[in-house]
Amino acid sequence: MTTPSNEQVAAQEQLHDQFNDVWGNPRGWKSLTIVNHTTVGIRFMLTGLGFFLFGGLLAMLVRTQLAIPGYDFLEPDVYNQVFTMHGTVMMFLFAVPMMEGLAVYLIPKMLGARDLVFPRLSALGYWCYLFGGLILCASLLLGIAPKAGWFMYTPLSSAVHTPGPNSDFWLIGITFVEISAVSAGVELVVSILRTRAEGMSLNKMPIYAWYILVMAMMIVVGFPPLILGSILLELERAVGLPFFEVARGGDPILWQHLFWLFGHPEVYIIFLPAAGIVSTLLPVFCQRPLVGYRWVVLAILTTGFISFGLWVHHMFTVGIPQLAQAFFSAASMLVAIPTGIQVFAWIATLWVGRPLYHVPMLWLVGFLVIFVCGGLTGVMLALVPFDWQVHDTHFVVAHMHYVLVGGMFFPLLAGIYYWLPHFSGRMPSVRLGKWGFWLVFIGFNLTFLIMHWTGLMGMPRRIYTYQSGLGWDLPNLISSIGSFIMAIGIATVLLDIVLHFRFGQKATKNPWNADTLEWSTHLPPSPYNFVSLPPVRTRHPLWEVPDLEERIDRGEFALTVIDHGRRETWGIEPLTGKVREIIHLPGNSWWPFIASLFIAFTCLGLLSKFYWVALVASIVAVLVLLRWSWENGAHPLAAPDARVQPGEPPLHSRTCDGPGLWGMGVTLLANGALYLALLFGWFYLWTVSPNWLVPDDPVIDQRLLLASAVLLSVVVLWQRPVLRRLRQGQGEPAALITCFVGTALLGALHAGLLLWAILAGDLAPRATAHDAVIVVMLVYSLAHGALATILSALQALRVHYGYVCKRTPYEPLVVEQFWQYSLAVMWITYCSVVLFPPTFGGV
Amino acid sequence: MQPLRSPYNPIHIPLGLVLWSIWFVALYGGLSVGCALAPPDPAQGQWTWLNGLLALFSLLTMVAMLGLAWLFQRAARDQREGQPARFVARLSAGVNLIGAIATVFVALPTLSLPPCL
Repeated sequence: MTTPSNEQVAAQEQLHDQFNDVWGNPRGWKSLTIVNHTTVGIRFMLTGLGFFLFGGLLAMLVRTQLAIPGYDFLEPDVYNQVFTMHGTVMMFLFAVPMMEGLAVYLIPKMLGARDLVFPRLSALGYWCYLFGGLILCASLLLGIAPKAGWFMYTPLSSAVHTPGPNSDFWLIGITFVEISAVSAGVELVVSILRTRAEGMSLNKMPIYAWYILVMAMMIVVGFPPLILGSILLELERAVGLPFFEVARGGDPILWQHLFWLFGHPEVYIIFLPAAGIVSTLLPVFCQRPLVGYRWVVLAILTTGFISFGLWVHHMFTVGIPQLAQAFFSAASMLVAIPTGIQVFAWIATLWVGRPLYHVPMLWLVGFLVIFVCGGLTGVMLALVPFDWQVHDTHFVVAHMHYVLVGGMFFPLLAGIYYWLPHFSGRMPSVRLGKWGFWLVFIGFNLTFLIMHWTGLMGMPRRIYTYQSGLGWDLPNLISSIGSFIMAIGIATVLLDIVLHFRFGQKATKNPWNADTLEWSTHLPPSPYNFVSLPPVRTRHPLWEVPDLEERIDRGEFALTVIDHGRRETWGIEPLTGKVREIIHLPGNSWWPFIASLFIAFTCLGLLSKFYWVALVASIVAVLVLLRWSWENGAHPLAAPDARVQPGEPPLHSRTCDGPGLWGMGVTLLANGALYLALLFGWFYLWTVSPNWLVPDDPVIDQRLLLASAVLLSVVVLWQRPVLRRLRQGQGEPAALITCFVGTALLGALHAGLLLWAILAGDLAPRATAHDAVIVVMLVYSLAHGALATILSALQALRVHYGYVCKRTPYEPLVVEQFWQYSLAVMWITYCSVVLFPPTFGGV
Repeated sequence: MQPLRSPYNPIHIPLGLVLWSIWFVALYGGLSVGCALAPPDPAQGQWTWLNGLLALFSLLTMVAMLGLAWLFQRAARDQREGQPARFVARLSAGVNLIGAIATVFVALPTLSLPPCL
């Protein structure tokens, strides 16, 4: 390697300055506008850390209360709030956002991209997470926190048994936070599939990206059932629609189904990215590739799917037929096999490598020990008779903590120690790191290993105190002592992390001799990650091209021209990694912050029952989101200069297959999961609700519904040939405007008819669950029809302004998917509400 | 991008487990609906029309998945295709095979337990 001349160094610095002009982060108030994935990822993780400390403090309160029998440190009502909030905060405000934050930070760097594909969506997700989390936590400080357990079982969480706003904080706050989770899920899926380095085919993708791809897809499909459940329960509490109340035709078990349809995959949503950290770090510390890459990919996919088939194992005691229990028991045992494949791949990697036991490796070994134990008690709990014995005892609490702390927290800390030099450019202290690990490891096992026995001795979970003489005194005291040792360990780790920013040794380049691309950025990284985008021909780019960082820095690779002012990264073909287009990314913006602020006002309006405030705030939020969408595609603010260098592919907004199309597709997948959960609720109540009330006459004008559905079909059929021509590079503005104005008018008519059908019907949604579900289904269709209408009207306006034309055909194709989805939903709703009931004893 | 019907299209990677998921929901839903509409006599034990139907449905699903696994595995052996394409085909074959195994394992209790108790 030759030393660069002064001129070369100056040119290199000038190039970096140009990139900083376009990608740089503002300071002060304007830092609220930052959308860059590095900053957003770090914000997610720091906020997650804050919520973790809050949740940890609550755990300390719980353990203090349970340390000795008959203790009155916490009032029963406060205790209920504290344990509910501990679980809620740890699951929703720490575990998932922390893992997403790490993925948001790492994925573009590992894939050789400059940013995630929808940076403003990342920013929106972060602000929703922050505001939602703060609203939820504020409830505890006000003494009105949720207190029905982190899974909010009805009827305990209903308005009858928990009056006051306690449960509302959970239902509204968590739904708000879940906007963040789902938006990050969509963002990560599309980014992994479409913005990798040139040549990074699927088989060369870093294993961590596979884990995150599956995790993100699981979020997209798994979170919507809970969002739906939360909306239904809030409607029941606030408006009196009886989805879960037996007397009016509902069923509380429906809540359990909806919750656990989310809740069990949630465990794997947390575990998979943690396992991804393990599969990334072990090969580095063994200095050899992961054994069985393809087997591990297969295991990740299998875990992701089968984890959706286990939800009823949380409900073994509710009276489900034995055969159904056996299906879920078998699936619960089955999921241990792909996890086992990963464990054996890790052991084999350790076996054939030469492991170096740095601090991250301690956490990895701790993970292996604890997680395997937690997995084994999981297999025990999958056995129905054993589950009946220990259901709702401390045994389950101990198992859950072995799986979640062992399976998520230990790998997370391994990852944090590993990537700490990346975040800060400095190395942590080995001595403090080891002290921290051993204190946490010993404290954790003292707390939760003992808790298995406490549970086997019959101590139920969620009791605020217990009598002496039941044999629970000593194990509880030991668990409490252990938990404080664990807390001291965590404090030691935090101290190490804080001190390293000032006293840590400066990190050398690629300090662990890692193989993945994130270590080829600066330490800490610049906002654009890579000044030139390198091609990737191998799964281990830094092992096979050791001087890659210098070459990237010198601008030897692609997309180094930035005088056009655009933020750019490659758009690739998902399988082969061949470059297809240049994706131009939006820059910093106030819109995500403002939109989330108004969504927060909506939530506060709902919580305080000032419904007019909520309505106005939600309308403003929608208007802000639409205004945000205006600066898109071929808008001058989105792509100030549309020219590309000779030989380069076109900008994505000038193609028919940009990332927005994929983003809409994945979003509709999430939306479809929500709708399917609603359909499941409808058919479930028809089949098993103990007091299902069917009206004697039709409650809705079926002709209006049919007319509305037919109109929607006409819209979609009208658009199809016009958009086909647009794809082929044809279509004059006048024809496009006619089509979009026409479809918007027909769409408005469709929505109007649907509204008429709802208002003119004999629906009594407060009287029966039957009518309540129909109302929700029709309002869902109405909302889609109305939104599609607005989007088409905006498209007509954009054709008028020249943002959409045959050279820029991108956006109408995205909107078309939304119309098609709305059509499918409308017809399924029609069949379910009008055609199905007569076949099942209804009208 | 490969055509949708090509065995090398990455969309097929999760196919086997998507089929498994649909089968699983149909199995549980079918059992619930069967028990709600026409519950077999408990005295019949596991030898009921409902068990038979669920077992047959599971068998057909498994055979379909094994067939798909074979098709994808055959495609994966085609040396004319590039490494990424063969990787996808092999992965799809594996996922289908796992789907088939999972179907048999989860459906086994239909041969030993009465349906609606």
